[in-house]
Amino acid sequence: MNRIAMLGGLIAGLGFFFLPILNLKPNRLASGTSFNLLEFQGDDRYLILFILALVPLALAFRDELESRGWLLVGAGSLLFLLTLILPAMAGRMLLQDPEAYLSGGAFIRNPRILPTGGFALGLVGAYVTIFAGVRDLARAGVQSWLQALATWFAPVVAAILLLNGSFDVYSILVEFYANGAALEQKFVEHLMFVGISLLVGFVVGVGLGLWASRDERVAPIILYAVGIIQTIPSLALFGVLLVPLARLGSQQFLPVAAFFGVSAVIAIAIGASYVFLADREPGQLRIVHLLATALSAAVPLALFVGVLVSFVFRLASIGFTSGDYAGTTSTIGTLLLAAIVVWAVARWTVAPDSRLRRILRWANWALSGATVAGVIVLFVQASGSSRALGGVESLQALTIRDLGVSGIGVAPALIALTLYSLLPLVRNTYAGLNNVDNAIIDSGRGMGMTPTQRFMQIELPLAFPVIMAGVRNAGVALVGIGTVATVIGAGGLGDFVIQGIVNTSIDQILLGAIPAIGLALVLDAGLRAIEGLLTSPGIKQVQS
Amino acid sequence: MIEFQNVVKRFPDGFAAVKGLDLTVHDGEICVFIGPSGCGKTTSMRMVNRLLSITEGKIMVEGRDNRDFPAEELRRKIGYAIQQIGLFPHFTVLDNIAVVPRMLGWDDTRIRKRVDELLELVGLDPDINRDKYPRQLSGGQQQRVGVARALGADPPIMLMDEPFGAIDPITREVLQEEFLQIQKEISKTIIFVTHDIDEAIKMGDRIAILRDGSLEQYDTPDNILAHPKDRFVRDFVGSDRSLKRLGLIRVHELMDPDLLPTVRLRDSVEHAKKVIAEHKVRSAFVVDEDGVLKGWIDMEGIRQSPNSLVDAMMEADYNEIGVRKNQTAREALSAMVARSFRITPVVDRKGQLLGSITLKSLQELAEQGWAEEEAGTS
Repeated sequence: MNRIAMLGGLIAGLGFFFLPILNLKPNRLASGTSFNLLEFQGDDRYLILFILALVPLALAFRDELESRGWLLVGAGSLLFLLTLILPAMAGRMLLQDPEAYLSGGAFIRNPRILPTGGFALGLVGAYVTIFAGVRDLARAGVQSWLQALATWFAPVVAAILLLNGSFDVYSILVEFYANGAALEQKFVEHLMFVGISLLVGFVVGVGLGLWASRDERVAPIILYAVGIIQTIPSLALFGVLLVPLARLGSQQFLPVAAFFGVSAVIAIAIGASYVFLADREPGQLRIVHLLATALSAAVPLALFVGVLVSFVFRLASIGFTSGDYAGTTSTIGTLLLAAIVVWAVARWTVAPDSRLRRILRWANWALSGATVAGVIVLFVQASGSSRALGGVESLQALTIRDLGVSGIGVAPALIALTLYSLLPLVRNTYAGLNNVDNAIIDSGRGMGMTPTQRFMQIELPLAFPVIMAGVRNAGVALVGIGTVATVIGAGGLGDFVIQGIVNTSIDQILLGAIPAIGLALVLDAGLRAIEGLLTSPGIKQVQS
Repeated sequence: MIEFQNVVKRFPDGFAAVKGLDLTVHDGEICVFIGPSGCGKTTSMRMVNRLLSITEGKIMVEGRDNRDFPAEELRRKIGYAIQQIGLFPHFTVLDNIAVVPRMLGWDDTRIRKRVDELLELVGLDPDINRDKYPRQLSGGQQQRVGVARALGADPPIMLMDEPFGAIDPITREVLQEEFLQIQKEISKTIIFVTHDIDEAIKMGDRIAILRDGSLEQYDTPDNILAHPKDRFVRDFVGSDRSLKRLGLIRVHELMDPDLLPTVRLRDSVEHAKKVIAEHKVRSAFVVDEDGVLKGWIDMEGIRQSPNSLVDAMMEADYNEIGVRKNQTAREALSAMVARSFRITPVVDRKGQLLGSITLKSLQELAEQGWAEEEAGTS
């Protein structure tokens, strides 16, 4: 028995039977009249949906049927498309004469059609049915491209119909057409602050995870600290950053930079003495040293990261949104892409330690160097425009706020999101590195691999899938938490959601939520693809 | 050659794992380090390639203090195989074996040739196995790759830490035999750590028995079995050491090629009677014209069918009544006790009769061991 097919049929069938499929709203905000699938009198087309929902139920028990996979895919796809198309037709009919269906006294202005529970369950049930069919196909050993075709046929046709305007009657699309330009900008904003905080979080988190895996004494401290951050509610974290960043923003740049410098020197000195004296000291002193290093480094490090991150964001937003730096940014992009391609080619197609690989490695260094140079040029261009390099006098007048740091806006959002990304990244890096079998490392050591070789050739590749799982975890979480950042004026897709909540407009909430969901899914799939590409077949988990 | 010169290893907590070890591992020999757990056998081995530092004394490798080289350079010259194998799961078999050659900067064609050569040597088909990943291999195959990897850059010295410890007993026997064959070809200087006395006796040219960080006895397996230095060694090698000693001796060394009451299938019954009488035995072996053992004939059979030798003889497969010439004396003894033979024929692989071995000769050998021990301990 195909239980999944039965589940699909049940979801769709029960949804159609018990829940309304459409809601006719007299205007953007007021709630309206719900319509059940079977309430469109005199039109039997809508019965088809219900009957189609019963098909997978019947097929679920026919295990002997050889072509059941294809039948399920067919029924599911048809159900998927018809669930989208038929209510749209009904909706158009309703909109032609809204007064007839709405109770008297409703204020009718731009009435709209909101798809409701039955509609959603119909789509879910249909897709579950397709999935059940594809599973049958996989079990029957059908080629993988045919399986992919079966999986993606209905969504692709639906996407074409969507672009064609077939579903324009639905209120979410009405909302989309009204706010399209804003959506694009908010989406880019959202993408950027998720991307940048994930990137910074990646560097910091992997670094901390590495430190934790190397020094068992600090491991519990680090893991506990990032765990605590995760327990702070996101709204509170945004709020907590408000005051210090506002203070910081009003500081002059030069004294702050000097503070960084002095603190960094102190931290390095303490750290160095800790490293060099480690062997000669009793254990308690080491912990004192460690605490001193951590404390002396923590404050300036946090400030530094905050300033750097928001400055990078400012540069990136200038680079992406204004034409002034388009040349530089596209050059940087090209160089970076080329570096990645060269690296990938060298990694997978050329035998290690051959001459070609060495040449490619030099090329890679050159490209990476050029990329870094490009970024520096971009910095100079951008800060030059904000008079940073105009001369010593203007440098003295420069405040931190000029670099993009202030109590509200992007800076606290980026810092909070970066902090949130730390737990999965640190934990997975630590677990990944710690779980590498000691015997493997020992045999690497015994064969004469240097610590760097052991790390690059053994530990990192073996921990990579676990680290990437942490990155995916963090990325998906950040897309969601990022929507909350709107309350401190950081923008992003949360703007729509919060407006929707204020206006009790489901359409507006969906306008923010659906792209966020899509972004999360695409991010997850993209990172998964990178993970698959970079993981040796020898340690890949077998996909069931 | 590896020389331990008064080597001491003390851990930071003050525990002395090795206390003044003096020992020389000769070129081309397998030296087995054995002892109860905590005796310092693995610690001693790991100081050779400086996986552990030496507290006092020194270890000379190929005539030079092993601290003269940077540790990594030293280790690349010393093969290293461990019980857990430690193959890199994300590397193919080829890449695993090529680890050290690559670090030494060999070019690709040379590495590939070497890898194929080594896979052949350890009994794996290069074309089938070269591009496999470790998880696609069985435990025994993985250990073969582990040995091949240790031999990667043809190091003169190998360190093996219970390399066959984690493998099922049957495969372990096979791998031990194969490794001894390989060692005959490559003659490496090997330190082999184990806690299994049977493995030590089988693999070792010399055995170093360690106890609490000190060398208890260092000698050939035969001498250790025949002359255990003290009670500790005697207990350690076990009360069945006479039997174990028999395990060191091959049948063909004990075989009497002349004690051969043989008749051919074509011979007459009268001839058989004469042969039995001449050798003063109870039965004679029957062979065909190629000399392959076919069975035996005794007076009882001759009495029952006095006319035809073929009718009178007891037909039997040579595998069932004979022992092979390269089996151990211990195996021969066990076969003879099981079949209650006093004399058993010795055959080669094709069943050709080569000689015979008597229960008495085996008993004498065992008794000799006991007598020596009595003399040694009194």
